Amino acid sequence: MTNKHNHPSHDNWEAVIGLEIHVELNTKSKLFSSAPNHFGDEPNRNITEVCTGQPGALPVLNKEAVRKAVQFGCAIQAEIAKFSKFDRKSYFYPDSPRNFQITQYDYPIVKGGTVIAEVDGVEMSFAVNRAHLEDDAGMLKHFSTFAGVDYNRAGCPLIEIVSEPCIHTAREAVAYATAVKAILQYIDVSDCNMEEGSLRVDTNISVRPKGEKGLRNKIEIKNMNSFSYMEMAIKAEIFRQIEAYEKHPHLPHETVIHHSTYRWDPEKKETVLMRRKESADDYRYFPEPDLVPIVLTDAYIDEIKQGLPELPLERERRYVRDFGLSPHQAFALTSEKRLADYFEIALKGCSNARSLSNWILVEFPGRLKDKGQDVISIGIKPEHLTSLINFIEKGKITGKIAKSVVDDMVANPGKDPSEIISANSDYQPLDDQAEIERMVDSVLASQTQSIVDFKAGRDKAFAFLVGQVMKMCKGKASPQIVNDLLKQKIEKM
Amino acid sequence: MADLNKETIKKLTQLCRIDCTEEECDAILVDLQKIVEYIEQLQEIDTTDVPPCNHVLEMVNVMRDDEVGGLLDREAFLANAPSHIGGMIKVPPVLKTQEKEV
Amino acid sequence: MYQLSAIELRDAFLKGKYSAVEIVKYYLNRISTYDNQIGAFLQVYEEKALQQAEKLDKKKQNNEKLGKLAGIPFAIKDNILIADELTTCASRFLTNYRAPYNATAIKLLLEEDAILIGKTNMDEFAMGSSTENSALQKTHNPWNLKCTPGGSSGGSAAAVAGRLCPIALGSDTGGSTRQPASFCGVVGYKPTYGRVSRYGLVAFGSSLDQIGPLAISSADVALVMEVIGRNCPHDSTSIQSGPEEYLSDFKPSMQGLKIGVPWKFLKKLADEPKKAFESGIEKAKALGAEIVEVDLDILNSSVAVYYILATAEASTNLARFDGIRYGQRSTRAHNLDEVYDFSKEEGFGPEVKRRILLGTYVLSAGYQDAYYRKAQKVRTLIIKSYQKAFSQCDLIATPVTPFAAFEIGSIKDPLQMYLEDIYSIGINLAGLPAVSFPNQLTQEGKKPLGFQLIGPQMQDRLVLNMAHILEKELPFNYAIPELVKEKTHD
Repeated sequence: MTNKHNHPSHDNWEAVIGLEIHVELNTKSKLFSSAPNHFGDEPNRNITEVCTGQPGALPVLNKEAVRKAVQFGCAIQAEIAKFSKFDRKSYFYPDSPRNFQITQYDYPIVKGGTVIAEVDGVEMSFAVNRAHLEDDAGMLKHFSTFAGVDYNRAGCPLIEIVSEPCIHTAREAVAYATAVKAILQYIDVSDCNMEEGSLRVDTNISVRPKGEKGLRNKIEIKNMNSFSYMEMAIKAEIFRQIEAYEKHPHLPHETVIHHSTYRWDPEKKETVLMRRKESADDYRYFPEPDLVPIVLTDAYIDEIKQGLPELPLERERRYVRDFGLSPHQAFALTSEKRLADYFEIALKGCSNARSLSNWILVEFPGRLKDKGQDVISIGIKPEHLTSLINFIEKGKITGKIAKSVVDDMVANPGKDPSEIISANSDYQPLDDQAEIERMVDSVLASQTQSIVDFKAGRDKAFAFLVGQVMKMCKGKASPQIVNDLLKQKIEKM
Repeated sequence: MADLNKETIKKLTQLCRIDCTEEECDAILVDLQKIVEYIEQLQEIDTTDVPPCNHVLEMVNVMRDDEVGGLLDREAFLANAPSHIGGMIKVPPVLKTQEKEV
Repeated sequence: MYQLSAIELRDAFLKGKYSAVEIVKYYLNRISTYDNQIGAFLQVYEEKALQQAEKLDKKKQNNEKLGKLAGIPFAIKDNILIADELTTCASRFLTNYRAPYNATAIKLLLEEDAILIGKTNMDEFAMGSSTENSALQKTHNPWNLKCTPGGSSGGSAAAVAGRLCPIALGSDTGGSTRQPASFCGVVGYKPTYGRVSRYGLVAFGSSLDQIGPLAISSADVALVMEVIGRNCPHDSTSIQSGPEEYLSDFKPSMQGLKIGVPWKFLKKLADEPKKAFESGIEKAKALGAEIVEVDLDILNSSVAVYYILATAEASTNLARFDGIRYGQRSTRAHNLDEVYDFSKEEGFGPEVKRRILLGTYVLSAGYQDAYYRKAQKVRTLIIKSYQKAFSQCDLIATPVTPFAAFEIGSIKDPLQMYLEDIYSIGINLAGLPAVSFPNQLTQEGKKPLGFQLIGPQMQDRLVLNMAHILEKELPFNYAIPELVKEKTHD
């Protein structure tokens, strides 16, 4: 890991990072209330007396939420608790309809687990501590002279996934979070939409000199609503903490970094201090008397295990094994399920998996990043990509022309590349051998010096000649043919 | 109970968000001290190896199907609200530094 | 008509002796005559009850099928939600709260053609044993207006005792239907925990609360239990079984019934209540019951356990009353913190504040193990003690209260008030069914003393059956307070 300020002394430090990921499950109704679990509707339309904390209302557990939590636990090879229960967690805030959250404190439904993710081309294994069910709070909307509370989100089912503090760099954190998100998408328990808040990541970060045992004070960063912001925030925080310790080498470290909570400001692109925590919050957890425990059988758990679809890691390994992709390419594709699905559809009609993967991962993103789109959202059909690659494979268009064709595809998403090619004469390959020969002759006639240079041993001169012919034919001739013709003719000279 | 003093009462009122007056805190302190002294008697009961009772009925796995229904009408909900605006419950502005950290 | 039990009244309606409108008008008249002295009702549904009665009369005219409770006016404790009606819990906090839904128990009553006649007074949020903690008004015992009707369902007990209606619903967390029933000379019942849905009952002690009927006779209570005693899908702690037949399955005799009495635990009882209890036991013997001694000494710790667990649960159950979504928001509040702090300060009475603070204390970091967890363990011991006792007997008998109704304002010490519940609280901790029915009147002051029968979980029918048999033989014998007796009779 290179840090931006290139302080070699920072290499003596290591960061200890833990991630807490809150995931909204995609059930039809909420966790304890039968109101719809749906984003984006008018405020306070998706409510019942339960999720607005009316007097006398009582929670009833959604069995599908339990199922999805168990599916996730099985997907990360965790231990599914045969006995788990709910607890009340007390705190006061307007978005909490009861001023206590119903969560799982000491008997969570999922314990342990492993997430394997690719970091810089290498598989790394990350340990999960636990995952549990809890209900979400409503939303507070801030205005200048008041705030408005919308309880549509209150009571929606969440699983909170807590990692062990086994992450050491910002890149690892992103890799871990990406892998968790992929798993959640593959087993279809959440739409994992960070903009809409159905996937939220908080991180705890502390640093310590390499080799030091024990953990120093950590700070928490909340509200990072994209993985790239998360990477920025973590990098910046690690740097800040190390700097602080290095500036005050003689102070006891508890006084240098204090337990605090920061919020990521997406506009300023920096972390903003929310509050210092002098003492731990007293949430007064105790068993929820309105809910009875969950007792799961081996049969139930096994049925869910057997029913899991192909998971991202399996798919990644299959891509490496069967399609010859590099692990990096395979991870990048399979991390986003819809991308991998798109890839496999496109691959049906062509055989160059590597090339296809390169177009999807490199060429198109390069052109689409600024628009904030990707190859799927912009509307380019997978069959069109297949078509494009086949044109290249069959030599119907050169690599260079392909790039122009792709520019056109981006400008006109949904347009078939075969149409684009046939509509533009500049894209038609030049097959006429005689025509090519005429151009070669023409160039050779006017570039006599280059011929001399080449014969004298300067390969660059040959490349120049090739370039001149390609320019004359607007890149439509096959470079190989041009190459061969030039060589033949020069030899005869 | 040496532990239960004015300070404790103040902390408790902050935890449960009830703004008691000085006189109320004094009165509550006297009452709570008596009550807490009374409940101390439980310490004399031997509960080694006794499991805590979370529920008096031995029921487990009470769940419902994932179906939508029984919605609360927004107008009925807002009818009881002390203040509402644009379909939302209206509260005084929340400063960013007041934001909760849960 | 006021001397009729609920069953007799329903039968009279079905036979055509009285119309529903006549019945409702009659009781509304009694309410307007006597309730200004008793103060049982917070709201009276004059218009609504008459409308319901008219509809019912039409149904009868059209020969439509009529419910089990047809024609019976019910008073409802004001912590049970009736859709579109005010539900105040006798608190300043909720004086303007209109319930957006019906409690399940209410829905079930209405399905059986019961008529809701009004909401009754109670201790604020059900916290109290005298109804003196109501923030809205005082209720007086119809047997002696200087005395409390007991609590927290004091309004419901007084309404039935004063024959302002024949039957009422109350709630019982630590004795709150049974103790006021005992003070007011009526029958008060707490079902097995989970037998009646808590959905729509404003929660106080979630693992202890039950809705229970108060009536003139145990048979009336049994009739209501046939209607409300069943599983509810909105309440996760509701027992997973359907309604039971009570009345048609009642046995006619107590012969062979084993009744356990924890004599040692009752040692401290004062003379008069002790004698009254003993004579009740004698009557049971005469009816064929066998009396055995059981050990319930652990109940000496029951008040301590209760006041830890109930207040802990209550401190979180009442957290929702913050003036944000409903209830009275403080007008002094200028920022969010003040909305919470001032609304609760202004909205809650002293007993409620005391209990919330105590509940917060026993759950707080550093104290939870010593108090909350310890109390949960002793609760297990209490449950086991009852189970052991029930292995030796079918039902347990005890008095309901250490003494009869006390004067309003005479008990100022909260702890002393809590100790009143010593005979009723253990039952809630174990989730058992228990009935309190009138035994006899005290010599001085002619105040009712009650008798309590307790059963194992799910033995609701047995408890009410035996109460039905015994209550007839006791001196009290459905007596009516002088104050409310009509000079002319129907």
